Amino acid sequence: MSWRATRAAQRQSAWLLAMGCVLALCLSLCGQSPSAYAEVAPAVSASAPASPSAAAPATANAEPAMARLTHGLGPVADGQALPERDRPPGALPGDNGPSPAIFPSQELTIRFDHRRHVKDLKLTCTTCHEKARSSRNSADSLLPKGTRCDACHGSDHRNTLQVRPHPTERKGQCAYCHLGYSSSAGNQVARLSLPKPNLRFDHALHVTRNIGCAQCHGALENLELATRDQLPRMRGCLNCHQAPDPAAGRARAECRTCHLTDPSGMIKVSFASGPLSPPNWLHDAGHGPDWIERHKVVAGNDSRFCANCHTEKSCADCHDGRVRPRRIHPNDWLSMHSVPARENQQKCASCHRDQSFCLSCHQRVGITMSGPLANLAGRGRFHPSKSEWTDGPRTPRHHAWEAERNISACVSCHVERDCAICHATAAMGGRGAGFPAGPGQGTDPHPLGFRSRCASALRQNARPCLVCHTPDDPNLLDCR
Amino acid sequence: MAGKLTRTLLNGLALGVGLGAASEARAFQSEVDATLDAQFYSLQSPYGSPLLQRRRYTQTLALNLYDIQADRRPLGPTLSFKSRLRLDADFGQRPEERNPDSSSYIPGLVEAPVDVMYAYLEGSRYLDGYLGFRLGRQYVVDSLGFWSFDGVEAMITTPAYLALEAYVGFEQRGGLPMLSTSRFEAGGVSRGDRSGLGFGQSPSFLQESKLAPAYGFALESSGVHFLHSRFTYRKVINRDAVLVSPFLDNGGGLTYALGDRTSSERLGYSLRADKSDLGAVLGSIVYDLYNRRVSQYNAGLDWFASDRAVIGAGVDYFLPTFDGDSIFNWFTHRGTTSGTLRADLAFSRQFELAASGGVRMFSTEGDPHSYLTSPDLNQSGRTFDYLGTFGGRYRFWDGSLALNTMAEAGEVGHRYGGDLTGRKQFDGGYYDTLAVLSLYDWEDALRPERSATSFSYVLGGAIAPNFLSFSRGRLGVEWEHTMNHLVGQRFRMLATLNFSVLR
Repeated sequence: MSWRATRAAQRQSAWLLAMGCVLALCLSLCGQSPSAYAEVAPAVSASAPASPSAAAPATANAEPAMARLTHGLGPVADGQALPERDRPPGALPGDNGPSPAIFPSQELTIRFDHRRHVKDLKLTCTTCHEKARSSRNSADSLLPKGTRCDACHGSDHRNTLQVRPHPTERKGQCAYCHLGYSSSAGNQVARLSLPKPNLRFDHALHVTRNIGCAQCHGALENLELATRDQLPRMRGCLNCHQAPDPAAGRARAECRTCHLTDPSGMIKVSFASGPLSPPNWLHDAGHGPDWIERHKVVAGNDSRFCANCHTEKSCADCHDGRVRPRRIHPNDWLSMHSVPARENQQKCASCHRDQSFCLSCHQRVGITMSGPLANLAGRGRFHPSKSEWTDGPRTPRHHAWEAERNISACVSCHVERDCAICHATAAMGGRGAGFPAGPGQGTDPHPLGFRSRCASALRQNARPCLVCHTPDDPNLLDCR
Repeated sequence: MAGKLTRTLLNGLALGVGLGAASEARAFQSEVDATLDAQFYSLQSPYGSPLLQRRRYTQTLALNLYDIQADRRPLGPTLSFKSRLRLDADFGQRPEERNPDSSSYIPGLVEAPVDVMYAYLEGSRYLDGYLGFRLGRQYVVDSLGFWSFDGVEAMITTPAYLALEAYVGFEQRGGLPMLSTSRFEAGGVSRGDRSGLGFGQSPSFLQESKLAPAYGFALESSGVHFLHSRFTYRKVINRDAVLVSPFLDNGGGLTYALGDRTSSERLGYSLRADKSDLGAVLGSIVYDLYNRRVSQYNAGLDWFASDRAVIGAGVDYFLPTFDGDSIFNWFTHRGTTSGTLRADLAFSRQFELAASGGVRMFSTEGDPHSYLTSPDLNQSGRTFDYLGTFGGRYRFWDGSLALNTMAEAGEVGHRYGGDLTGRKQFDGGYYDTLAVLSLYDWEDALRPERSATSFSYVLGGAIAPNFLSFSRGRLGVEWEHTMNHLVGQRFRMLATLNFSVLR
């Protein structure tokens, strides 16, 4: 087969592979299992604050007499927005409720009007939620039992297997409170789901500190149905939780004061209801798509904050890693890396050390001046021609500009000797049989203003000075 | 010596595992975590030869013990031990590359080095919560960078919203018989193990490593969530004997510098202040006391436009600095300054976008374009790179789709390209699949023949069985295929195995 035909066949096979890859990607992403959708759907609908319109379908099969009931189906009647002042402290407009990782989605199948009970009937929160005073565990259910309603509604919930509605009173009928109830269902009502939150919380402790319900849950007396939106926000918690670790009291700012931890003390970040990650406003540490590019500022400022969720391994996997992280080094990085290394070597330096990482590999493939002779033999020139790069006048292609732009890129291939051959003073340069041509030209590589700093450097470490200058060099004596 | 230490450490780990297995009789929890990564690929010199066959095998083994202290109280003192040992082998190396008498000898190349990534005893909340400490090999992460040392660190947290941290020990350096790597040393000097090399034997630039004392302190705020500030100082001292000149002296000998010398001495300060309904200010600055120059600074301003949108601006400056023994500090002229604007938008908890754009500026003493006619070093020359990124992420119930694109263009060349990454799990996470499509185009202005357009794809799969309720495991394989005119077809195979037991 001719060379041209081989190339064409290679190109064709490459395109076929590419197309196959696209197809595989589409198939894998589009082919969700039905069970996955079944689990997703309620979570999405219930993660948003409940509204009358959202609850409306549930009333479609209700008893005809109850179909006119419009209160208690959402936070505000007629689907109006709940005033921001009535939401929990720390809630932001349009935040769609607290994190589902902490407070998983709920299914509310009860019609209830808090305003009617608190404002009109003068009931207190603990009339119904009496366990809130004594609860010490966030997993406790603080919802009142049906028997709590019986006194006023005339129903009888003592035997939940055979609940009896009031014989005549409208407000004592099952469908008055239970959404979607149909008399043909007998004793069956729609299941109410309030999953336990994924955090530590001690209601009793907060009650003893005189922290009222509204301080965490907002003005429930002004709204009808309480939804997930009335659950506390971390921003609200942090109004009080600002004390350092050893401070008296327990309102500490430590994450693990409230968040669940595993045996190692790390915050649990993976829940069935979703992953837990910091919101944008918390330490400016939102883990958005660009987080990997900007995390250094946050981690460099407060690495202990990161250590609440991440172990050393999280850092070391990249910063001291041995497997190429594809998100940082995509595609054919081995061929591409020379461009970013010259453009922005500081990024390289955050994980790689010039001498031990870069130089070692460059020596193995012969991209050095001082590498193994076997790799240098017969090799071409890496840089532009010598007349342009080193010998000639300082045109824009002279190596001096490249070195000023990014000396680290030079160091990833060159050792001191390569530079000292020319930059050392005549008295020091290029002596020895190995380098007979070393002229020791003393070409001054120092930046402007160096003289004002050299005395301190010489005092702290004279070694680099003595590479190029003899101890009695007048330039060196000036720095003493 | 290193082998003996390795055996001792492995024996210690085995003992630890044994203790962990008996943890039912004790209060503490033990965790053993093992990872294994095997990579197979080829790497060709730009000159065509040599061709390196990489047969890399990396294994880490971690042993962690939690709650070692006698009693266990909520918010009471805790004592734990954390360690991770690593074997990083490349069985594709040629033996002559490690033979000092061969013309292919690569200084410092080791076939299967073993290092202790970290191993420390950690106590926290002692003395009524005031005292914390760490003893052993540990990392320090702050504005001075990602660094490691062997020694002791103590931290005092006060109720006055301040914490004081101090540490002393030896910098982790390569070539020491202490199962260490050179990752954390300042650059510019080649250090390593010269055993087997004669005095002055080439390559003379490989210096023998010696213990490098290091100490530092930090003062930082504590307990205030809307403000964090850290002031830090660190000094590292060289004690090794280092060649003064790379050339033989008049007598044909070599001169060495001895005694304590500054390796690095730096001050750093960082600050973050935020108001959750408004925005945040972040910044840090590093001053190199040896070079007497600001070596880094960055500052950012972020506006939390809504709960779902962040608009930000930042500036970043970097000046390369090196070990005090290195001459390269005196070749460093001016730093690189970057300015960027960014936007982060979360349309829902599932769908997020991020974009950024900016410019990076290099500055030279003298203008390269007019230097020949006007050789004035006080006249600055400036060159610019233009930067842009765009990324998006969509997370669904059991998978995600992510797009990451970038563009950088300037005098050195350009890079344009992006990756599309899809992940999907099946059977509740038992099976995990991965597909990546990647297309990049780059131009190397200095070496135009090294410019290319490259397409690459990755296909991967993994299973994650839970053998027992207290264990986790994951076995994965990835196949990477790259096509461009520089390498033709390159294949890379990556196999990973993770196993973790917590009891």
